[in-house]
Amino acid sequence: MSAATLIARKSVRARWGRTLAILFAITASVSFVVGSFVLADSLRATFNNLFQELNEEVDLEVRASQAFESDDARDPIDVAIADSIRTVDGVAIAEPILQRYAQLLDANGDAITPPGGPTFGVSWEGDDGLQGVTVKAGRAPTGSGELAIDKATADAEGFAVGDTVSYLTDAGTFEGTITGTVGLGSADSFGGAQLVALDLDTALVHFGADGKVDAIDISVDDGADVAAVQLAIEAILPPQTEVVTGEEVAQETADNVNQFINVFGTGLLIFAFVTAFVSAFIINNVFQITIGQRLRELALLRAVGASGRQVRWMISTEALVLGVLATVFGVIGGIGVANLLIFLFDAAGAGFPDTQTVLQLRTVIVAALVGIGITMASVIVPSRRAAKIPPVAAMRPELGFAAMRSRRLVAGAIVTVIGIVMFLVGLFLRPGGTPGLIAFAGIGALVLFLGVASLSSTVATPVTRVIGWPIEKLFKVPGSLARQNVARAPRRTSSSASALMIGVALVSGTAVFASSLRASLIDTLESAISADYIITDTGFQGLSPVVSETLAAVPELEAVTPIRGISGQVDGGRKDFGAVDPIAFDKLVDPDLQEGTVADLGLDELLLHKDPANDLDASIGSTVEVTFQNGVERTLTVAGIYGDATFGNWLIGLDTLAEISEAPSRDFFVIAKLGDGVDPVAGDAAVQAAMEPFPQANVQTNAEFLDSQEAQINQLLLVITLLLAFAILIAILGISITLALGVFERTREIGLLRAVGMNKRQTRRSVRWEAVIVSTFGALVGIVVGTFLGVILTLAVPDDVISKLAFNPTIIVAILVGAVIAGLAAAIYPSFKASNMNVLEAIATE
Amino acid sequence: MSTPPSPLAPPTPSTTAAAGAVDARKTYGIGDAQVHALDGVTVSFETGKFSAIMGPSGSGKSTLLHCLAGLDTLTTGATYIGDTYLATLDDKALTELRRTKVGFIFQAFNLIPILTAEENIRLPMMLGGESGDKDWIDHVVATVGLGDRLKHRPSELSGGQQQRVAVARALASRPQIIFADEPTGNLDSVTGAEILSFMRNAVREFGQTIVMVTHDPVAASYADRVVFVGDGKITDEITDPTVDQVIDHLRNWD
Repeated sequence: MSAATLIARKSVRARWGRTLAILFAITASVSFVVGSFVLADSLRATFNNLFQELNEEVDLEVRASQAFESDDARDPIDVAIADSIRTVDGVAIAEPILQRYAQLLDANGDAITPPGGPTFGVSWEGDDGLQGVTVKAGRAPTGSGELAIDKATADAEGFAVGDTVSYLTDAGTFEGTITGTVGLGSADSFGGAQLVALDLDTALVHFGADGKVDAIDISVDDGADVAAVQLAIEAILPPQTEVVTGEEVAQETADNVNQFINVFGTGLLIFAFVTAFVSAFIINNVFQITIGQRLRELALLRAVGASGRQVRWMISTEALVLGVLATVFGVIGGIGVANLLIFLFDAAGAGFPDTQTVLQLRTVIVAALVGIGITMASVIVPSRRAAKIPPVAAMRPELGFAAMRSRRLVAGAIVTVIGIVMFLVGLFLRPGGTPGLIAFAGIGALVLFLGVASLSSTVATPVTRVIGWPIEKLFKVPGSLARQNVARAPRRTSSSASALMIGVALVSGTAVFASSLRASLIDTLESAISADYIITDTGFQGLSPVVSETLAAVPELEAVTPIRGISGQVDGGRKDFGAVDPIAFDKLVDPDLQEGTVADLGLDELLLHKDPANDLDASIGSTVEVTFQNGVERTLTVAGIYGDATFGNWLIGLDTLAEISEAPSRDFFVIAKLGDGVDPVAGDAAVQAAMEPFPQANVQTNAEFLDSQEAQINQLLLVITLLLAFAILIAILGISITLALGVFERTREIGLLRAVGMNKRQTRRSVRWEAVIVSTFGALVGIVVGTFLGVILTLAVPDDVISKLAFNPTIIVAILVGAVIAGLAAAIYPSFKASNMNVLEAIATE
Repeated sequence: MSTPPSPLAPPTPSTTAAAGAVDARKTYGIGDAQVHALDGVTVSFETGKFSAIMGPSGSGKSTLLHCLAGLDTLTTGATYIGDTYLATLDDKALTELRRTKVGFIFQAFNLIPILTAEENIRLPMMLGGESGDKDWIDHVVATVGLGDRLKHRPSELSGGQQQRVAVARALASRPQIIFADEPTGNLDSVTGAEILSFMRNAVREFGQTIVMVTHDPVAASYADRVVFVGDGKITDEITDPTVDQVIDHLRNWD
């Protein structure tokens, strides 16, 4: 064994407290990274398998074609097409598929809403059919008086086979006997969704499907050539329909879910990397301090013949050992984290089917890169400094410290500027689109953190003196000691505070962004929209058109319009069209009309935002050729040009939309306004009464809507804080180790203070408040940096979305309170250590 | 600090000199604040002898030792070990020299705290990636007489035991020369005497060359020759000193 390896190994073992802390930080980071990957991979694999399984028996599917790829619901097709398909040679089963809104009602007639998912009504032919629904108990429903429901809801609500229940659909309220409970493979629910299954004929009537279904699933006879059958079916299909293979359908469904899983996984991964970044800070700081403490030891090594390179290699080997260990622990921990998260989602009602744990080679490689990478990167500077320690420092340590000085200020300033420039470039120039934006802005922010961390040492002394002032007034001698101890090592203070600074900066930056978003929303609601009510849906399916029709019939309401949508292509580019009731819209919204009219918007007429109007060089009376997703082509005439993009850039009337597509319309939301002179209390009562039969409709007044937006923003901040929990925990740990190392260095000094009469309690206090000063300093720097980043980010967002800059003082206060608590937590161990020193031994320490 | 040695042609190192300095000067600070730690020292130390450097605090004796040993550099002048002028060596060569040709014994903090006594003794060889002369090392270890305490860490050893380990480490690589900086400064007189005898035996029995800095007349009396340093200059020297002779010399300073 080489000397470097021996010493590295022994050092890892001898300084076990430090070793454990570093191991924890890296292991936590690696676990987070691995957990993000494993979770996403496992979910992907599970769902992909599931969709394959579900469509196993489906060889072909007939459905409405789309002119271009679109997330919009496809138009429904005539159920009678199934009959003609059955006449094609080789077709064994042709099963119409129908899925609409349906919701179960409890004994009081109130809607039962599942915790995490939507509510569906489906047609189901039972076991003989092609749908991969698994019967858990009983049998499939037949006839209008029967239904099956998912087992999860049955269990939660205490429904059993044979019970009679009511359910609500777009066509009204119905009653039926539960003939069976169903699930999806091993799971009791359908990804957390509530399910009402009816036989096809009943479903067509009870769902108000008007003889139309979503698709027709087909299985071919044993031995029949699927491709040949596909061709034969294609030949008899009406226009605007297509026949595709079951695999394609499974793939499309899986792709949709994968897209969501990818976003989710990437989000987790970003926070995992933030955690790793914070860990690197802590590890760097700990190594930096211990190298100071090991100065004489390292100089001695140099004196007895170790080269500078060997010293550097020794420190690096120590880091390598820690990195490798942490990677191993992290991979194991990450699998645990992923499984724990899946378990938690499940417990929250997500209804995942049995998930397999997928650990890809890529995950292990990234884990090693992160685990070993951050430790090695963290020791580059400390190990170089260690190598510079001259041998003579073994006898004269003061010469060693002089040799280790680095030019931190200049480097810090340069790094800070580079970080800001990258951040600006990312946000405003966006090289390479969104990925470029994220890469530049993200890396820029990280570089900025690095720069600020080293720059902040210049302000550490004055700022901590100010923070410490009230503490000194309050706690006299211990307070004064705390204040002076912080101020005398500004670099160490700023390094250990920096880890906390990063987390705080991310939270406060988001806070600025979110507050500005909210302020802009208020602005829009106040200036552009004069609605009294905003009706959104509580599920995820959009509102039934019946909701807006019902509201329109309420006499107290002067104007009601739903906001619907469809996608279309103009000059080959995809555009989202909004559809509204023009007369009501005119009364409810001030779209900053520049030319033309809103209220008179007629059939095949278009309201156009000024930007696309400019691009198309369109004016009143110009025509625009549009191909909609279902293949319908229309020529729309521009009837007005407006300037406020709150409702999108392309608006048509509901009548035009109805002509274009028969797809079951789901409204994003509905806005409504009381008539002149109507008492708001009476209006509220009338609207509530009208919405009684629509549990999925969430009626909010303007103010309530704002409150709910605010609640969402706070929720977002909470989620971000939770995702930063690891990073914040590691930062607290970092302050704790730094402090413990400081206490160790000051052993003799503390012994002297104790000898001349400071009691244990005062000793503990001085350490405790030292920690609070450091953590508060970190939080302050974080708030400054975060607010700066948040302001830039907010300014970079187009005015359409965010038009105002706003700050949230409550969050800043909350962060500062949190910082004090973090400091108190960090001080628990070091203050205990300081107060429990043996006074005599402490004084005897050299 | 890296000024080359004075162009004054230094005399060719004598064949009997293990190490020495030629017009060595070491200056700290600039202008009025200048301090001459070494103010033109020319001295040589014989091979196979136990030499002592004495002087009051601030006399420059430690600086002289550090510069002789290649731990510190001169402002002008030259130091040599064997036939090698230290100023001609870069850091790498100097490290190599310290590892293979020089042994050190310091006053305190001689040992790496995380290594056992035995590992500390073998450290210079391990740093060079060699196993060393096994019989010799076993012999040295046996002579140190630590027995079962060899597997202990320094913190578990007494001050005297720690210094014995340090001496053993210095001897283990059979260096051309051992530099000792107040090796008994932290020890009581009995333990100190033990270490000094041990060092003297190494010179007598193995022909080891040792140069020791001390301010203790008793310690100096173990040496074959004592060189006195004052105000950065060599002031005097005596051979085969007794304690009384040394004390007399020191008195004459005042």
